Amino acid sequence: MNDRILGIAALALAVFMTAAGWSIEAPFAYEPVGPRAFPLLLALIIGLCGLWLVYKGGRAVESNPAGANARIALMVVCATAYAFLFQWLGFVIATSLMSVFVGRLFGGSWIKCAIGGVVMSLFFFVLFDKVLDVVLPGGLLENLI
Amino acid sequence: MSGILDHLSIGFGVAFSLTNLLVAAIGSFIGTMVGVLPGLGPVNGVAMLIPIAFAMNLPPETALILLAAVYVGAEYGGRITAILLNVPGEASAIMTTLDGYPLARQGLANVALSLSAWSAFFGAIVSVVGIILLAPLLAKWALAFGPAEYFVLMIFAFCCLTSLLGKQPVKGVLAAMIGLSISVVGVDANSGVYRYTFESVHLADGIDFVVVVIALFAVSEMLEMLEKVAAGHSVEVTPSGRKLFNLKELALTWWSVVRSALVGFGVGVLPGAGASVAAAVAYSQEKRIIEAKDPEAKFGKGDLRGLVAPEAAATSSAIGSFVPMLTLGVPGSGTTAVMMGALTLYNITPGPVLFDTKPELVWGLIASLFVANVLLFVMNVPLVRLFSKVLSVPGWLMVPGILCISYIGVYAINAGTFDLLLVAGIGTLGYFLRKFGVPMAPLVLGVVLGNMMEQNLRRALSMTDGDVRVLFSSPVSISLWVAALAVVIVPQALRRLRKARRAATGQA
Repeated sequence: MNDRILGIAALALAVFMTAAGWSIEAPFAYEPVGPRAFPLLLALIIGLCGLWLVYKGGRAVESNPAGANARIALMVVCATAYAFLFQWLGFVIATSLMSVFVGRLFGGSWIKCAIGGVVMSLFFFVLFDKVLDVVLPGGLLENLI
Repeated sequence: MSGILDHLSIGFGVAFSLTNLLVAAIGSFIGTMVGVLPGLGPVNGVAMLIPIAFAMNLPPETALILLAAVYVGAEYGGRITAILLNVPGEASAIMTTLDGYPLARQGLANVALSLSAWSAFFGAIVSVVGIILLAPLLAKWALAFGPAEYFVLMIFAFCCLTSLLGKQPVKGVLAAMIGLSISVVGVDANSGVYRYTFESVHLADGIDFVVVVIALFAVSEMLEMLEKVAAGHSVEVTPSGRKLFNLKELALTWWSVVRSALVGFGVGVLPGAGASVAAAVAYSQEKRIIEAKDPEAKFGKGDLRGLVAPEAAATSSAIGSFVPMLTLGVPGSGTTAVMMGALTLYNITPGPVLFDTKPELVWGLIASLFVANVLLFVMNVPLVRLFSKVLSVPGWLMVPGILCISYIGVYAINAGTFDLLLVAGIGTLGYFLRKFGVPMAPLVLGVVLGNMMEQNLRRALSMTDGDVRVLFSSPVSISLWVAALAVVIVPQALRRLRKARRAATGQA
């Protein structure tokens, strides 16, 4: 993992933006610069940055301490799952579940995380939904709360 | 002069309404707590509160006051941990650790804390006065800006931000371009064409700015925190007798504070350069000036002047960075970029006209910055111990809490799952970008300025039927081009020069 990989990713992004943006065309062109020029200009600059990084290379990315990568991957899974379940299960259940798993990743014990999660989710639900009027999804508990 | 007084009376009228005073106090408090938490700084605090302020239907000036108070509060809070634990709460407090932590180790923690609160307060006041004097003038001047000048001004802002940020400007450029690309997604305002939406209904309106900010500053921050999860911090403060600094220490540091506050304001007014740059510049300036004439200076080992310099400069520039945002519509720092995004949620476009159309907003904000700083100064001295208690909130409770508040905020905008998934996705991407050393601030600036930049470019080119020479035609745009080039070249050249000189003295 070094700057060369970042450069390759930038080049890929540039190619992707050009490919997907090439067909953008305004049905009525009444101005000299249409909707396509700006994104393609950006793609060009991204591509140039990519070339520069590939050419220069070096500067390896600091590798993570042992075990961190697995935790980070799990955290990404948690964040994604939480996003999926937020509306479907409802705020209180989804947040309690998320708190247990994320809390475990950050070194809490099962019991502490479970209690903390439930208390926190109820507290935030009351605070935001009832007091501050920020509507949150009820989900499965819709009729209970 | 009477004009200024009129404006101020409008401003303080707004700031002293009961709700706004309360909001300023709450904001300062929340901000300080967020600033104390390691890894979370002003940007994170402001980013998490925007959607909530919006969802609560706060009027725009109240929302802006809340965010400004959080911003300033976080600047104050960041230095508490910097001094007590050598852990900078946010980037601009890094310079504070250099002399602040040694002072705390010598048993002068309370003196250092109160003195830094004082210098931050002084920096803030210098900056507020600066805004009052400078902003209306600048706004009048900015009214003469055409689309071409605006476009070049934004390029100047990007140049300031990327060149001052680090040793690898190319990554700053890349970040800015990625941000601009994100802003392209959605319906094109001029032609109604869908760009990069891939037939998805959710992308038709574009990627909401709040989504990007929360993803970059809450989710990817958490992934980064996981790397350091093993390292525990303790809140052991060496006991110290005196609670406050004395007059001798005040006199010793007086000119350092004054000079640094002015430097900070100057850096803050530049579009794009933020508090961390100001702190670094002020620190090295004081070090140079004082070490030249005072052989007893002990910078880096607990010199009070080394403590006050970055403090005064950081706060002063944090507030100074409101000047370009309010007058030109181009934010002066990452955090003000985020706030400008908040204003656009209210359909308010910051810029020179704002002074005429929304005086209560502009002057209310300026007056509130003053009020928030007074509150923080008063609050900080007795409450330091309380704030440092925040550190004892364990990670397993704090991180789920942050994630939860972030998602509440994002959900509040569109009440949909798609945005939440986008947050998780962009957050992961942001983490990888951070690992590769790509700075986040230009990316956010790109997202905020993207549409404006493109519109101004297209408008400018429309006027001349596509002739690019329009971008180099007026004296204003030419001087902005020159300034932009200078910000890119001068720091690089200085770095080379210094290296060469060091090599030369090393051989001799």
